[in-house]
This record gives sequence, structure tokens and C-alpha cells, in this order.
Amino acid sequence: MIEFRQVSKTYPGSDNPVVTDLSFEVLEGEICVLVGPSGCGKTTTMRMVNRLIEISEGEILIDGEPNTAMSATRLRRKIGYAIQQIGLFPHRTIADNIGTVPHLLGWDKGRIRDRVDELLELVGLSPGEYRDRYPAELSGGQQQRVGVARALAADPPIMLMDEPFGAVDPITRERLQDEFLRIQEDIKKTIVFVTHDIDEAIKLGNKIAILKQGGVLAQYDTPENILSRPASEFVSSFVGADRVLKRLSLTRVGEMDLEQANGGTGGLPRISDRMTARAALSELLGSGQSRAVVEMEGENRLLTFEAIEALTSGAEHSA
Amino acid sequence: MSNPTVLFLQDVLQEPKLIDWEWIGENFWEDIVPAFQGHIFLSFVSVAVALVIALPVGIFSARYRKVYPPVTFVTGILYSIPSLALFAILISIPGVAIGPAPVIIALVAYSLLILIRNTVAGLDSVPPETIDAARGMGLTDRQILFRVELPLALPVIVAGIRIATVTIIGIATIGAYINGGGLGQLIFDGISRQFPTMIIAGAVLATALAIIADLLLLALERYLRPWARVRRT
Amino acid sequence: MLLEILEVYARPDFPEKLWQHVLLSLAALLVAIAIALPVALLIRNTRLGAAIAINIGNIGRAVPSLAILALALPLLGIGFASALVALTALAIPPILINASTGLREVSKDVIDAARGMGLSGGQILSRIQLPIAAPVIFAGIRTSAVQTVASATLATFIGGGGLGDLIVEGYSRRGPEILLAGALAVAILAIITEVGFGALERAFTPKGLKIAQKRGR
Repeated sequence: MIEFRQVSKTYPGSDNPVVTDLSFEVLEGEICVLVGPSGCGKTTTMRMVNRLIEISEGEILIDGEPNTAMSATRLRRKIGYAIQQIGLFPHRTIADNIGTVPHLLGWDKGRIRDRVDELLELVGLSPGEYRDRYPAELSGGQQQRVGVARALAADPPIMLMDEPFGAVDPITRERLQDEFLRIQEDIKKTIVFVTHDIDEAIKLGNKIAILKQGGVLAQYDTPENILSRPASEFVSSFVGADRVLKRLSLTRVGEMDLEQANGGTGGLPRISDRMTARAALSELLGSGQSRAVVEMEGENRLLTFEAIEALTSGAEHSA
Repeated sequence: MSNPTVLFLQDVLQEPKLIDWEWIGENFWEDIVPAFQGHIFLSFVSVAVALVIALPVGIFSARYRKVYPPVTFVTGILYSIPSLALFAILISIPGVAIGPAPVIIALVAYSLLILIRNTVAGLDSVPPETIDAARGMGLTDRQILFRVELPLALPVIVAGIRIATVTIIGIATIGAYINGGGLGQLIFDGISRQFPTMIIAGAVLATALAIIADLLLLALERYLRPWARVRRT
Repeated sequence: MLLEILEVYARPDFPEKLWQHVLLSLAALLVAIAIALPVALLIRNTRLGAAIAINIGNIGRAVPSLAILALALPLLGIGFASALVALTALAIPPILINASTGLREVSKDVIDAARGMGLSGGQILSRIQLPIAAPVIFAGIRTSAVQTVASATLATFIGGGGLGDLIVEGYSRRGPEILLAGALAVAILAIITEVGFGALERAFTPKGLKIAQKRGR
């Protein structure tokens, strides 16, 4: 859907490229997270998709066509764009803000109105209450939701999101991430998502592109593979020494293969099947017991250390 | 060169009546210097008096906010009244003679608004945490005012002083009309004698004085505010 | 005394002087806007242009009004037209400074979001930058208007007419009622200008910005 072909970017007057020979493909309906230390060119890479920054070498293809095939302005109206600082227009109502691109595309007023209401509902803000408010009246978290709604307004097939949940506190951020995943289950957009936070990348990405200084691709793979088979020292240290534990957060207890409990479950801690394996491990360790009870499909099953360990088998050390 | 613009400029600049350098040479110490000195005197005294009034009022208004709107209102009205009109009103008051006194009164009245407003703004710009920390360390209110708040508010206050000074230098020129002295005297004499040299001398010197004062105080303002020296766009 | 002042206003030449004053001020202001705004728009994206504009504006603000009006005398002669040129020159700096800074201070994030969403340069200017900068621009126009009305009083010294004529007449002929009549008329005109343009400024401030100002955002 979005293909990077040997894309490089060097600013005039500078010797060092900020993006070097980047090649990868983002499949339709997937979330591809660009992650890396600051200075790795992830934001630059994202902004080259909608030509806010022009490529020095190589090309970016969208659905097989180079993104230079049409004017930049027209291109951008087909791509959703959400940034960290949000950038809501302070002098316009929430409804006007969200309706910006539909308005540019010439939708009629009724259609825009309906769409605005639909999107506000989608991001969890009651339309009646919020459509006529102004950005200054909303909290940071609310503004961020509006930013996402605005990016979705014209129902673009592709979305670019640059740390869209960065400007809020961790609790709100987690809630926004969960809702975002829920929304994506419905709408299945192709999304390029930039973050500096590897945990966010693991949580949200179908694929992760880890970038090094100078925009060099260190690894492009599923979160599972990056955690279990890091391609280099850089990747494994970026991912963190606790990558095995991180892998555990990819699986929910309910997905695990657990043996049945045959009586004698009194006194054992109970764990929800919605919990991640990592959280379950933490619970188990804290309880002082070696087993816990999980209710799955109506019956009691046993969660043991061995079962958790089985998840991590096959993990290799870095090359 | 037959370029009409050049011819025009040559014409204007060589016009014997425009700048009579001989006259300037002859009358430099008699007319020009006293006018210059008189102007600096007027300006300096006015700024000083204005500060003596405005700083306490500003500090008070910053503390007791209810006072601020009426203070702004009154000084705002004074500021809106055109200078010549204010001079006229002042000398209409029985007992007020023409001369430097009403000029100084008017100049002070003009600058109160900007000085008080900037004092309040400057004090407002002091981060509450800083004051809180100072209080926590055991400083009295008075000490906080003089050792913490005022120094931090200084850049904004100096910005106000700069604007006030430049305004005062400018309006002081008009004060010459009611015998206040200063460089305006050269201008008015030049107009009544139809002698452009005097007009130009007075106008140019007054402008130069204002610009120099502006630049000096701007430098002072920048010096006091190192974090604003690095300008980012 | 009050009666005598009112008698001055009843003079046949009073409306003419009032009209001269208003016309002079208004014309100077409009021409200044017509010059300063396009310049501010042209330089809005260049750092050098903005720096030049700010510097010209600051120096212009420092120049004494009387000096410029007086200089117009030997260079342009006496009369309404010379006064108009001088007053226009004086009216430009506050508008130029405010328009220039106002446009440049529109949040870069808001502009980036607008660009990224696909607004063209012209659309960003007209729908985003100008409305957001409007309050600042109008504050500049207001400052300039009040300043121009005040400076127009001095036009009398170069034969430009206006209410200053009354003040000069009252002063030289020792007619205190004429002096005060002129002074009061100018003062009231100035205050009306200040209040009027203040209301205009508020009218042109988009509601969303007023709310943001109130909340200190």
C-alpha cells in the first residue's frame, strides 16, 4: 500500500543524510510504527509520505503510484494527519476543525455535519456537548481525541500520526491507545505511526521499523520477531534488556494453552483471562504461590510458571 | 546625469535655504546646545518623576488587583488626550504659568499608563513557584519584593521605561510651544521665521536623541534578559 | 466659561475644522493600512524581511511626530497635502510592527497541521493566519488611529488645518475659551477613537481566541 523504495533525504548544505536508503512496505490495513532514538529521522520519514518534506533520492509509492503523481495539496487531502502538538485551529469550533478537509473537498453541509457527529462519537466525545466548543475549552486528552477525529474526517485510506498521544499524562495515554486499537479494529486504516516509545510501538504496531541515527533501517518486522530475534546489538539494546518480559505482554492469559485445574483451587490467587502474561507473571510472583487459577470458557484452569516459560521458548540472543 | 530624480535631489539638497551650515556654525553654542540640554533636562526629569509615581502604584496594583482597572482607566484617558490639548488644558488652570512646569506635568501624565502597565506585567511574569520557594526559605514579603520579584520583573519594566522615554522625548518637542524649551524651540522658531535650517536642526536632533535613547535602552533590556537574546523563529 | 466654550462650537468654521481633522486622520490611517498590511503579508515568511520591518517600525515609533510634520514643511510645503504625507508616514510603524509580529506568531503547529491536512498556501493565509492574527493587527491599527488623531492636532503648525487651529488661535490671541474648546474637542475625539477602535478590535477577535485568552492558553 505504501512502499518506500531506497528513499534518502539530505538537507542542502549538510553532508550527512537524515534518512538513508530506506526500503520497506506498509501493507494495507496495517499499523507500521516508526521508532528509534531522537535524530533517527522517523518524523522526517513520515513527513515524506505526504510531501511536507521532499525526498532527495528514491521514491514513495502509494498503491503503486509515486506520491509525486499529483499536487502535494491534493495528496494531503487524501491522507489523514495527526501530530503531537495537535495543532487544532484555536479560532474555530470543534465541529469546524473536524470538518476542515471534508469542507475543502466540497462535501455538502449535511454530510459534513453527520460525519462530525459520527467521529465525535467514535473518539468518545458526546457530539451535542462538544461540537460547538472551542479548543481552549478542552483538556489535553480531549484535544488529542479531536485531533484524531479530524485526521479521520474525510475517511482517508492512509493516516500519518506523529506521537499523537505524546502530549498527555501516561494514564490518559494508555486509555487513548486502547481506544485507538479498538477504533482500528473497525476501520482498518493503513497507518504510519511515529513514536520514540518502544512500549507504545510494541503495543500498537502490526509491524515495527526501528531506525538508527541517519535514518538507517535497523530492523523491520513484527513486534514478536523484533523481541525474540533482534537483528543487531542496536536493536536489542534499544528494545531493552527486559525484552523477554516485553514479549510476554504480547499474549493474553486467555490465549494461552493451560491445563485444567482438578479441584484444590482454594487459596490460590485468581487471575483474569484478559490480563497479559507479563502482568500475570507479576501477580504470580507477588502472591508467593507457584500456581494461579484462571477461569476460561467456564472452567477453571491452572496458570503455572512453566506455562509462562513456554511462551518465551525460541527466544534467541542478538546476533 | 540627467536622471530627473537625481536632479530633484540635487535641487533639494543644494537649495541654499534648506541647510545654512554657516548659521549652524555661528549659533551652535547659543541656540542649538541650550535647546539640546533643555530637552534632555525635560525628558530626564519627567521620566524620573513618572517612575517615582508609577513604580509604587504599579506594585500596589499588582498586589491589590481591584485597584488596577480604575488606575488603568484614568491613566488611559490621560494617555489618549493629544499632547497639545493637554498642554492647553493645563495652562488654562489658574495659577499654572507657561514654561517647563506644565510640560513636565503633562509628560509625566502620559507615561504613567505604560509604566504602571509594564510594572504590573513584569511582576505578573515572575513564576509563582519562585516566590513560593523564597517564602519557604524564610524571606519576608518585603525581601521577596526587592530581592526576587523586582529583579525578575526588571526586563519588562525597562521595556516600559524605554517606550515611555521615547514618547516623552517626542512630546517634549511640542512643549516648546508653551515655552517649555528644548529642541522644539528650534522647530517653532524655524517655522515662524520661515528658516528651514532651524526646523531641520531641531527635527533631526530630536529624532536622533529619541532613536539613541531607544537603542540604548533596548540594549539595556536585552542585557537584562539573556534568555531572550537567542531569538528563534 | 462653559457657555463661552459652547459658543466656540457654534462658530461657523468649527464643523469645517472638525471635518478637516477627521479627514486628515482617516485618510492617513487608511493609506498607512494600505501600505503596511501588504508589506507585512509579503514578508511574513522571511526572517530577514520580518527583522527589517520590526526595525523600521521601532525606529519609526521613536521619531517625534512634530519632527516629521516640521520636516514636511521645507520639503513639501505647507498645507493639507504635506500634513497628510507626514501623518501617513507616522501612522505606518505601529501597524507594520503588529501585523508583522501577529502573522509570525501564529503557532507553527497549527500551520503545520493545516499544511499537512492539505490546505494550500493561500488558504492557510486567509483561513488560519489572518483570522488568528486579526486581534493583534487590529490592536496595531487602533494604536495608530489614536496616535494619528493626536498628531493631526499638530498639522496646524504647517497649515494643515484641523482642530489644532483652535488651540493655536486661543493661545496666541489669549482667548482661553477658544483654547479650551479646541483642546476638549480634540481630547474627546481621541477618546472616541480609542473606544471605537477598541470595540472594532473586539469585534474582529474570533470567539475561539477570546476564550483562549480568558483561559490563559
